[in-house]
Amino acid sequence: MTAAIATIWSKHMSKFVKNGEEWMATLFMPILWILLFGAGMKAMMGDMPLAGTDLPYVAFMAPGIVALTALSGAVNGGATLLDEKLRGILKEYLVAPIPRLSILLGNMLSNATKSLLQAIIILVVAVLIGASLSGNVLGWLLGLALMLVFALGFVGIASGVAMRAPNTGAYHALIFILNLPLLFASNALYPIDIMPAWLKVVAYINPTTYIIDLTRNLWFGAATTINGWLSVGVVLAWGLLGTWLGYASFKRSVR
Amino acid sequence: MSSERVLAIETDDLTKRYDDDILAVDGLNLEVGQGITYALLGPNGAGKTTTISMLTTLLQPTGGQATVAGFDVVEQPDQVRLQIGVTFQEIVLDPDLTGRQALDVHGRLYRQGKAERRQKIEELGRLVELEEALDRRVKTYSGGMKRRLELIRGLMTEPRILFLDEPTQGLDPQNRTAIWEYLHRLRSEGDLTILLTTHYMEEAEALADRVGIIDHGRLVVEGSPEGLIEDMGADVISVSGRGDRSAFLEAIKARAYVQHVDESEQDIRIGVDNGNHRLAELVGLASQDGFVIQDVSIAKPSLGDVFLKYTGRQLRDR
Repeated sequence: MTAAIATIWSKHMSKFVKNGEEWMATLFMPILWILLFGAGMKAMMGDMPLAGTDLPYVAFMAPGIVALTALSGAVNGGATLLDEKLRGILKEYLVAPIPRLSILLGNMLSNATKSLLQAIIILVVAVLIGASLSGNVLGWLLGLALMLVFALGFVGIASGVAMRAPNTGAYHALIFILNLPLLFASNALYPIDIMPAWLKVVAYINPTTYIIDLTRNLWFGAATTINGWLSVGVVLAWGLLGTWLGYASFKRSVR
Repeated sequence: MSSERVLAIETDDLTKRYDDDILAVDGLNLEVGQGITYALLGPNGAGKTTTISMLTTLLQPTGGQATVAGFDVVEQPDQVRLQIGVTFQEIVLDPDLTGRQALDVHGRLYRQGKAERRQKIEELGRLVELEEALDRRVKTYSGGMKRRLELIRGLMTEPRILFLDEPTQGLDPQNRTAIWEYLHRLRSEGDLTILLTTHYMEEAEALADRVGIIDHGRLVVEGSPEGLIEDMGADVISVSGRGDRSAFLEAIKARAYVQHVDESEQDIRIGVDNGNHRLAELVGLASQDGFVIQDVSIAKPSLGDVFLKYTGRQLRDR
């Protein structure tokens, strides 16, 4: 099982490392967010903490941008799986003596790994333009690990949709419904306290809110607005749910 | 002894009915002995790919049984997977990998050691004359090179049984003959069993020890290519023309030297003992009976004629 997962994981990673376009495409948008949007907000507010929070805006938004990147990374991951399904590349795996689950997990893990690398790069950029990290290195790592679990949950769902989608158009339509709303209907760009009541409800249903609240604390030392253990629980449950959904859909689609 | 050997592939009323009630494979009974090359010949849509998909554990049969290398495809899919190599009808390669990476990933999926993988890649790259191209990305390959790469990917793990689904589909004649040559070389070298599907009768004639003609998901007739063709008579005279055929048909069927007559819309094909001798007489029969011949030709019979005889349709009808 692990050998097969490692093979599929390393195949995708070696493609990723050599594919300049994929790097550009996946990093361009988040860095643009941080540099342009972040710089604009910073020009407006200086290094003052954002109203109702204890973080300057660049640090406030960085976890949200990391989560956004994980979401778009997951969309790409599902698209890779869909592409392999439509081209028939999956069949090479399916006739091989490897557990079916390893095909899905190899794909999901390579994707989550990419999200992790991107998260680190975004954090570095955020620090370069003035966000200051908390002093707790263990907290950074814990934050990254939880972000990985969060990414896995979304990759699982994207993979599940990919296995059922008849073509790329249908896939992107379905995924689009999930992707941007998860960002905007969360605490990624503005604090939850200032939201209208209906948006608050949506934000509290949205698992993105919990990972962002957690990593703001773990990476930048902000006070949590949601009980930390509750957030950890939500993130872990989300990771499991997404993986399970991905697996259930995958199992139905292959023998 | 040979009669007690396990068959490489055996199916017993193998059936696949899809959800939309299409019967793709309809009670197929196949026996493929070890070490032979067996061609399933039939038009597109005859059930060849569905059969291969079931035998390679990609699809679950809805009826009947099948064993590959002695293992049941439903009960023991993992053992089956260990024994087989497969190439698919469409080209199934990752365009962003180099040829070497594609082969290496494949070997790793089967848990081959590093040294073994390297040695197999060199050896097989030489076999299909791809050594020069192995470090280029697959997307720079021509169609023929991709097919060759897929062929050796199927051979990486030294399978006992190799499944080739339309191995030369979409290739020009030159590349097609090249693939045939590699397959000939493989056969002469070892005890590999090959099951291939094709809708090119030339391919079945060139490669197969045994041919099974398949149509509408059923095996119509089976035998060695030579045997099947011999039964067709020494020569086939094809006649096409205008007018009422029936009297003409009756007249030719009455001749002792006419071995069989097959009709299609385009032409009438008459198997005879000696085409050159009988041509004049057969043409004479037509003009007496109000059937006007427009075109006539003599050819050696082919598997296409065999197909026509048993199914009533041209192999290339589509």
